[in-house]
Amino acid sequence: MSNVEIPVGRVLRASTRGFTVGCRVMQPDIPAFGSFVRAEARTPECSIFGLITDVTVEDDLFVRRFIIADPPEEVVRDQRENRQVPIEVSVLAVGYGQGDDVLQRIPPQPPVTMDYLHPCTAEQVVGFTRCFDYFRLVLDAPGIAADELLAASLQIAARARPPEEREAFLVDAGRELARLLSADLLRLDRLLQQIRPQGEGR
Amino acid sequence: MTLELSRLTRAVREMGQALAGRERAFSQLVQQARAWLAEFADRGAELARAAKEAGAAVPTGEPLNLVGALPDVPERFTVIGTDGSQVEPDRHGIALYYLLNVGSLVYRHGSGQTPEACSVPRLYHRDADLYDGGLQVAGNLLDVRRTQAEVQHLADLVEAEPAGPTLALLDGSLLLWILENLPSEIRREKVQAYLGQFGRIHEKGDVALAGFVSRPRADEVGRLLHLARLGGDVQAARTEPNPLGHLPDRAVFSFLPPGARSALFASTCGADRELYESGGNGVCFFYVNVAAEGEDVVIGRVEVPAWVAERPELLALVHGGVVAQCRIAGGFPYVLARADELAYISGPEREQLNEMVAAALLAEGLRPALSSKAQYKRMTRRGRAW
Repeated sequence: MSNVEIPVGRVLRASTRGFTVGCRVMQPDIPAFGSFVRAEARTPECSIFGLITDVTVEDDLFVRRFIIADPPEEVVRDQRENRQVPIEVSVLAVGYGQGDDVLQRIPPQPPVTMDYLHPCTAEQVVGFTRCFDYFRLVLDAPGIAADELLAASLQIAARARPPEEREAFLVDAGRELARLLSADLLRLDRLLQQIRPQGEGR
Repeated sequence: MTLELSRLTRAVREMGQALAGRERAFSQLVQQARAWLAEFADRGAELARAAKEAGAAVPTGEPLNLVGALPDVPERFTVIGTDGSQVEPDRHGIALYYLLNVGSLVYRHGSGQTPEACSVPRLYHRDADLYDGGLQVAGNLLDVRRTQAEVQHLADLVEAEPAGPTLALLDGSLLLWILENLPSEIRREKVQAYLGQFGRIHEKGDVALAGFVSRPRADEVGRLLHLARLGGDVQAARTEPNPLGHLPDRAVFSFLPPGARSALFASTCGADRELYESGGNGVCFFYVNVAAEGEDVVIGRVEVPAWVAERPELLALVHGGVVAQCRIAGGFPYVLARADELAYISGPEREQLNEMVAAALLAEGLRPALSSKAQYKRMTRRGRAW
């Protein structure tokens, strides 16, 4: 999570449920699974918020030349440490709005292609996760690792808060999950294990 | 779609047939050229003076059909490559400016170290940047400035490099390409500034400077063979049609085995040759098959200044170093491929730069605006992905 608004890429494909972004980044800067991001919505000054559900390192023709040739160590290090890699980032839309007026629902329209995707600042993450309505959108999302995504996003949201507030935040999130998953205790148990505050024993 | 491809079908088919026919004719010419190369192999010394006069490749003492084996390179040596790109000034844009971006890679063979990658962008917007001798800096004048920035950055890196065998590589010919219709004083000033950077590299000592030309089109050796078959008669060579005309030298030298180089020749190209030669920077060249064993032939042209050509250990470093680099990336020096990548300015980056300039103008109370023509183009072209 970054406090500086550096664009991570441009929207390639979009629907109201989610969108895909393409960009070239240095390997250490590849965005993390579960991170909060935002893209510009079609309505002026309105953002669509999302969670990164998948990061794919794309095929790189330049790298492909070296795969079978057993490249020298210098080339391997250059490719790993100096070169930008082409990636595709998939995002699940979990809300839209502006400032404090954010609705945790599927946005009415997708973002515009070629628009930038920005990582959310710590303040934006804290603001967005004051409400847990987005849990249902994640838990019901098809074709993604929904439970792992929700757990990762909650850990990130906890780290965006001051240390003294993190445990209370995760306990509140756990309570909301218990309400939503009361009919599926095995799933609830797995999820609670994943969001257990760090350092707490079983 | 405004390009009606269906109307080009016949022309494209005819082009394919014509190219195939030319390829068949070339293969006969190649055999003829190689026969002459062998026939006149030892006549280099007697042809040298006439070759210089006739604008042909000048033999340097090696047999014309020499096959120079790939030399050993030091266990550790450094290769530095630079390349550049530019954002052209746009008189229809929101402001008149241009940008040069120079990329570089310092690669230390045998060290196991991460190469040093660098990209240096510079923005030019002052009157002194935008005009040169009353001419607007664009087109060839901008190319010259970019080339100057590339070689200056190369010299900076060479000076900063610890002592040791080092190869400094440029992409393309070592001759600075300046339009001949520019005033001669401007031309001379540019060439002298350019060669000043060669001098900085030369002064470093154990550093070899070279330019690598991929898929070269030059035909200087073909002109030499034409001259040789006419007994060195310059006048006859000028009036009689050259049967090898348009045959690139690289086709003649495609017999070179993997890693081997041709004989070394001096080039007679370039209008400002005396400026290069008077400073010991006269351009020499050889052809080399950079492919590895078992791969298809890839002939490149390597140009070096005379002060490199005269030192066998530096020439061997150029030969061995270029082949070693080309075998990493397959047919092209790795450092130049990476320098190009580091210098490249993508479409979205150009847009971002323009947005930054617009924001800076707005912050100063100016109202940036495109020309009417640019606005019109933007409207008609936006979103046209197919």
